[in-house]
Amino acid sequence: MKEFSLIHAKENEKLVVVSIMGGRMATKRLADMGLVPGTEIKVLRKAPFGPIEIEVKGTKLVLGRGLAAKVFVKYEE
Amino acid sequence: MKNEIKKLNVVLAGQANVGKSVIFNYLTGLHQHIGNWPGKTVEKAEGTLWYKGYRIDLLDLPGIYSLSTYSIEELISREYIAFQKPDFIINVVDATHLERNLIFTLQLLEMERPMVLALNMVDLLKEKGLEIDFKKLQEILGIPVVPVVATQGKGLTKVLDKGIELVEKNIKPKPLKYGKELEERIEILISALNNLDLPYPKRWVALKLLEKDKEIEELVKNKNPEVLKKAKKLSLELEKIHGEDSSIVVAHERCSLVSQILNETVKITKPKKLSFNERLDNLTSHKIWGYPIMLAILALMFFSVFKFGNLISSLLENLTSNWQENWQAFFGTSIWSSLGWTIIESTFALISLALPYIIPFYLFLFFLEDWGYLARVAFLTDNLMHKIGIHGKGCIPLFLGFGCNVPACLSCRIMETERERFLTAFLVTFVPCSATSVVIMGLVGKFLGIGWALLLYLFAFLIILVLGKLASKILPGEPVELLMEMPDYKTPNLKTIILQTWFRLKEFIFIAGPLVIISGVIITAFNQTGFIFKIAQFLSPITVKWLGLPAIVGNLLIFGILRKELILLMLATLLGTTNFSQVLNPNQMIVLSLVSMLYIPCIATIAALKKEFGWKKSLGITIFKIAFAIIVGGIASKLLNL
Repeated sequence: MKEFSLIHAKENEKLVVVSIMGGRMATKRLADMGLVPGTEIKVLRKAPFGPIEIEVKGTKLVLGRGLAAKVFVKYEE
Repeated sequence: MKNEIKKLNVVLAGQANVGKSVIFNYLTGLHQHIGNWPGKTVEKAEGTLWYKGYRIDLLDLPGIYSLSTYSIEELISREYIAFQKPDFIINVVDATHLERNLIFTLQLLEMERPMVLALNMVDLLKEKGLEIDFKKLQEILGIPVVPVVATQGKGLTKVLDKGIELVEKNIKPKPLKYGKELEERIEILISALNNLDLPYPKRWVALKLLEKDKEIEELVKNKNPEVLKKAKKLSLELEKIHGEDSSIVVAHERCSLVSQILNETVKITKPKKLSFNERLDNLTSHKIWGYPIMLAILALMFFSVFKFGNLISSLLENLTSNWQENWQAFFGTSIWSSLGWTIIESTFALISLALPYIIPFYLFLFFLEDWGYLARVAFLTDNLMHKIGIHGKGCIPLFLGFGCNVPACLSCRIMETERERFLTAFLVTFVPCSATSVVIMGLVGKFLGIGWALLLYLFAFLIILVLGKLASKILPGEPVELLMEMPDYKTPNLKTIILQTWFRLKEFIFIAGPLVIISGVIITAFNQTGFIFKIAQFLSPITVKWLGLPAIVGNLLIFGILRKELILLMLATLLGTTNFSQVLNPNQMIVLSLVSMLYIPCIATIAALKKEFGWKKSLGITIFKIAFAIIVGGIASKLLNL
């Protein structure tokens, strides 16, 4: 399955994180919140041109658009 | 035996939104002190309680998600735990979000201090369809696990009992073990570190080296560069095996260990049904409906705060209207008498600002925060805030600024980095506060119509937009993207809201009070000795020639440093009338309002900026604003008089 950036995901889609194409800081910040490659996530909602809200391990997280662009995901198999 | 009081040093640690401050407030009540960590824009909350013959000094660490050096809060927390060696740690976790919370718990365990896990919000587990095997969790983690309902105070004494037991029996936790490949390398590093004198536990240092933590790398390098080389080599090996950065390998290991723990301890008992709060969330974060709802809530807040504030302050005014006369009748009108009166008047001005405006504003704000709505505001406004160089959380200080710039500057602490904090505070000082609004509405609004007043507000927003864009380009460092947890809506806790308001109010009075009173006395002395006219005269090339305003304005602007609304009040006093059109033509009114809006943060705001960012930066902002106001005011004056 092809991977794509989280900003292109649609609401209510269930996805798996493949990689994080960011600096160490961004990667570390996301990892601290439990977002590491292999994690299952669900897109809850997207604000128009704004941040994306996802569910990770039972917690709701809001990612700014720039940060979400660095998270690459694919569909669950 | 003598009845000697034994002292214990205890910290509360946990992520944001787990009810840490509720527990803190419950345990310490009014015996708390909120200040800043030395030299940092990070809040430090300390409190004291007496329990079973112990005097417990409790410190509420900032809400953080890890013990790395990503933010100042994290650095402060880990240094505090390592250097101050608290007698025990109370790790507060949200039982309904156990998985994310335990990632941090594992890291705390690695600090090897005695620790109790306070499993908060267990009353909500049933509703969420979750079941936790507390005993099993305790077994796996190797530390006492106590179910707690912080809002009702349930389980809190047991947390203390367990903590005291750990201290009395001197039991320290053992960090949990990760996968084989990682553990082998940790072992190698621990033995390499064995003869180094380090303030942190060896195992923790080994892990941090593999995570490439800059601070720890530096620390070890200074002691023995060979060990660092070895760590680099081991990290590289890990990266080869896993194909990702070694810091991610460690994070990954933590996440999978937590998943394993969850598998063994948590049962999902029923499929999730949409609760009322989730429906509310769907509505208030809705991509269309979210915005009108937000505007309505915020408008309600402003409207009710100002309505209530005006009511109370006019009541206060009536109550004290003849006080000055009485004072003068009793003490005469000598310079000493009027200096004495200034002290009373300034104190009174503080009260009439704090009581009717700041208290309701804070109550409302903390209600929205405790309820969970502020996070939705950040979500909805992130896009807009990006345009001014900050992210969604920044809308909260900006918003507070409309009430009073002082608490707004202090609330910039919610931003992640020093850069974001400073940038946000800088922009806050351009938000027209309630006192500035008095000038705008009383001058332009009253004599030229509400349309012109709104235009001035619009201009203020434009300035914030442009300056924000520029400043975020100029300031060194990278902008931080929004990353926050969206808390579930919950029933607001009245005690928390009231205590938060009370401590904020105290802070406001301590910061603003002395400066407002002292500078009030100085300016009155200038006024009484006629020195103020000399200053006004000295300023006249700017005020008269460049800004095209009457010379008297120089006086007003000096008074305005104290409190912006004084610009208007003094004008009325000097004229003996509130018909300002006698001395100011429409263009002058616009220019004066504009300059009042921009020219300087009031003395209390300068004090707040100084407290957060030091003298240099607060003076920097002040000087910039004065220069900026003169330039913009002058250009406006020339354009209007074309």
